[in-house]
Amino acid sequence: MVVGTGGVAVGAERQVREGKPSRREVTRGLLASAAALGLAPVVAASRPLPPSGGAENRAFDQTYRGHRIQGFLVPAAVRRADAGEWQITVDGCPLHLMRRADGTWMSMVDHYTSYATPVEAARAAVDEIGPGQRLREMAPGPVGGERAGHGMGGMHGVRA
Amino acid sequence: MAYVRKNAAALTANEKRRFVNALLEVKRRGEYDAFVRTHIDYYTADGEEGLRAAHMAPSFLPWHRRFLLELERALRRVDSSVTVPYWDWTRDRGTTSVPWTKDLLGGNGRKSDRQVTTGPFAYAAGHWTIKEGITDGKYLTRDLGRAAAPIQLPTRSALQWALDDPAYDVSPWDSTVTRGFRNKLEGWGTGGGSASWHNHNRVHRWVGGVMLGGASVNDPVFWLHHAFLDYQWYRWQQAHKNHRYLPATQPGPGDKQRGRVVARLDKMPPWNVTPDSLEDVSGIYRYA
Repeated sequence: MVVGTGGVAVGAERQVREGKPSRREVTRGLLASAAALGLAPVVAASRPLPPSGGAENRAFDQTYRGHRIQGFLVPAAVRRADAGEWQITVDGCPLHLMRRADGTWMSMVDHYTSYATPVEAARAAVDEIGPGQRLREMAPGPVGGERAGHGMGGMHGVRA
Repeated sequence: MAYVRKNAAALTANEKRRFVNALLEVKRRGEYDAFVRTHIDYYTADGEEGLRAAHMAPSFLPWHRRFLLELERALRRVDSSVTVPYWDWTRDRGTTSVPWTKDLLGGNGRKSDRQVTTGPFAYAAGHWTIKEGITDGKYLTRDLGRAAAPIQLPTRSALQWALDDPAYDVSPWDSTVTRGFRNKLEGWGTGGGSASWHNHNRVHRWVGGVMLGGASVNDPVFWLHHAFLDYQWYRWQQAHKNHRYLPATQPGPGDKQRGRVVARLDKMPPWNVTPDSLEDVSGIYRYA
């Protein structure tokens, strides 16, 4: 098996890209478009929030256990349909959040527990990130968007 | 002739050594990291769009069954005597009991940075560098029992609570269902805090470190944990012989879960195999 620079099997990487964009790519595009529009957490914080937005929708920028956690609700105008509603960073590195059907949130760092708000999920992630460690740039996320019977077809790098 | 998956506590010294060496060789060949990546890629949560194949879905069990079979095939290409052992966490419940021994998976992470420093998967041993991780940490981490706020592994009665449910799964087939064997075993509870973590999820939480994140496959205990869960699926089938994998067919038009779950005869990515074809694997392996 040929292994690419990130340790990912080259075939697997290619197969992901043939389908819908991966969350990694979505995140990359989202950051680029947010930058193009001059959006930053501090700007987003001053934007009017959706009517339903209570305290749980408010942008945050705080230091928790020595790590800077920032998050803002991505304006719908620059949000891709399959991208996250929230842009969260820990020390400047993206932290991918996923939403549960009950409305709670979970992160790539803490994948088997969900939290009531994005800021709680971000804090829980910090609790688990070891000393001296950082989230990888373009933290991996799921591909999503597949349909039953119309999957990737291939073995996705895992061969029998 | 079906091969046998054994309790990790019953392995001989030779069987442990061969299992560990096969894992290290699969890692050395670059195959292991593709397994880590696949698990990350197929983790779609139920509050998001798209098909859920691996988690928060009825196909949680067949998806991981096939995933285990793929790993086991990779191991058996290295050493045809090897099978994936299971960790019975209802019996082996301590931080120094099986499988946390130097001759199997190594021990707990150290206090300062949770780094595993004992056994074959310790970073310093030179064979287990994490490449597909959520953080940039290169070493395996564990926090057995969660030192900062201790929790216990699921009990035998918690597992029995799942096994006693005659329904395989129920609509809406996600993490919010409070009935059905699948979610009682997968372990998504309601509310917050440790009381809401059941069976499968609770074990990921108890091991901690990389086992808690999307790249949990980086800890080889992932396979021993999922082999035990796979065994429970077999036990559930034996206890409820008139019940099968559900849903039998796709949810109807207008149902929000239509196209988001794998029905019994649907093809499950990334392997394009049906749950139906994975319900009976007695021709491939059995548990002892």
